[in-house]
Amino acid sequence: MRFTPALATAATALVGSTSGYAVEYLTVAQAQQTIFPGATFTDASLRLTPEQVKFVSQKSGARLRSPDIHVWRTNTGSWFFLDEVLGKHEFITYAVGLDAKGAVCGVEILVYKESYGQQVQNPKWRAQFTGKTAASPLKLDEDIQNISGATLSSRHVMEGVKRILAIHETALAQR
Amino acid sequence: MKPPLPNAEARLRRARPLLGTVVEIQVSGLAPAQLERAISRAFAAITHVQMVMSFHDPASDLSRINRLAARRAVRVDAATWTVLRHARALTRVSEGRFDPSIAPILQRWGLLPGVPHPRQPETNGSAICLLPGRRVRFLAPLTLDLGGIAKGYAVDRAVAVLRRAGVPAGLVNAGGDLRVFGNHAAPVHVRHPTKPGLFFPLGELRDGALATSALTYSGKIQQGTATGALVDPRNGTACGQNLSITVLARSAWLADALTKVVAVDPAAARPILARYGARAVILDTQGRADWLDTPLRHVA
Repeated sequence: MRFTPALATAATALVGSTSGYAVEYLTVAQAQQTIFPGATFTDASLRLTPEQVKFVSQKSGARLRSPDIHVWRTNTGSWFFLDEVLGKHEFITYAVGLDAKGAVCGVEILVYKESYGQQVQNPKWRAQFTGKTAASPLKLDEDIQNISGATLSSRHVMEGVKRILAIHETALAQR
Repeated sequence: MKPPLPNAEARLRRARPLLGTVVEIQVSGLAPAQLERAISRAFAAITHVQMVMSFHDPASDLSRINRLAARRAVRVDAATWTVLRHARALTRVSEGRFDPSIAPILQRWGLLPGVPHPRQPETNGSAICLLPGRRVRFLAPLTLDLGGIAKGYAVDRAVAVLRRAGVPAGLVNAGGDLRVFGNHAAPVHVRHPTKPGLFFPLGELRDGALATSALTYSGKIQQGTATGALVDPRNGTACGQNLSITVLARSAWLADALTKVVAVDPAAARPILARYGARAVILDTQGRADWLDTPLRHVA
């Protein structure tokens, strides 16, 4: 183990930084190939009916923010969902792969961003993270690379996965 | 500009929701396809640890021993066995300052589900009996929670899998329990103990592990006093309030578990840290960093 401290002496005050923390792990195309290597994808995005929205909320216990669902079908009959969760301080874009039988076969985080300012609630600010392609990489603050001390809980993402399973059940399982 | 070589070495950074947090893996030094395969195996290893040591899943090893081991010996998975061996050894060395049998206290505080057993007295990690054939028996009714050690162990497992796959350098970070290996230097920031949007630069870590425990997220307010996942197992009181405790050690399970020993009793922790070749730093709300060892000679 080798450690070089930022400051050499004991009991000194450290200077804090308040910049946000953001990482882009994968573009949408990369996430598709990570979960379903070699597959081809056809956009199968859909809008849920009010009845389906009600079913999803009841079945998953997680509120649906929009009836518009971003989903692709693979050439092998699997499904690739793109979704985002917006917590009090975090914004996470993630993808869920379901096989042809509707079982989860992959969950990948595309973008993780935490902020203690107001911008996380701003739709324009959030819009910069969606629909990213390999040609338009995100500009991020790279000063803070590794954080110790609990990162935000992944509870919202796990709730999102349950929601996607319910969406599949009500809107896609019969196809 | 030269075009990239077809088999060029790559750097990959991936994250998945696991262990109740966001687990990140960074790797470099092999062709992209090999790194992808290695990362996917490392995440599978973490998923396995999560599955066998989950407090919430009734089918996990942990739930099985909590249910049955007071009555009969229960055989467990190799991963669970290793974590229990580490936990028992540290309980002994720390004279009970680390103790996995604190689950009833966390249940009483509402930090773990379920109602504590009415006849279960104080914590008693020394009643965990490890028998040949990876079998576990409790000599008294106990409820274990491996939350204070299993997350670090999962990081160690992931690193072992990456190395076995031939990855020369990388990092695994499970919500602040992180380990770096190979020729990878990781600059690390630590969160302010009570203002999670504020980060302090701690230093640069190579070939080792680091874990931080603080009440930032796990703390709850109960009856006017803050209680959190940092418990003194000897008397069931909350400890480490408004402090962030970071331990540097050779492995992540050790760093993870030693943060609890330091939280309980910083002064008594010094010889225990020294015994394991570990170091600790306590950050207070003023941003003061107090190293629990002699100041280093390095100059940043």
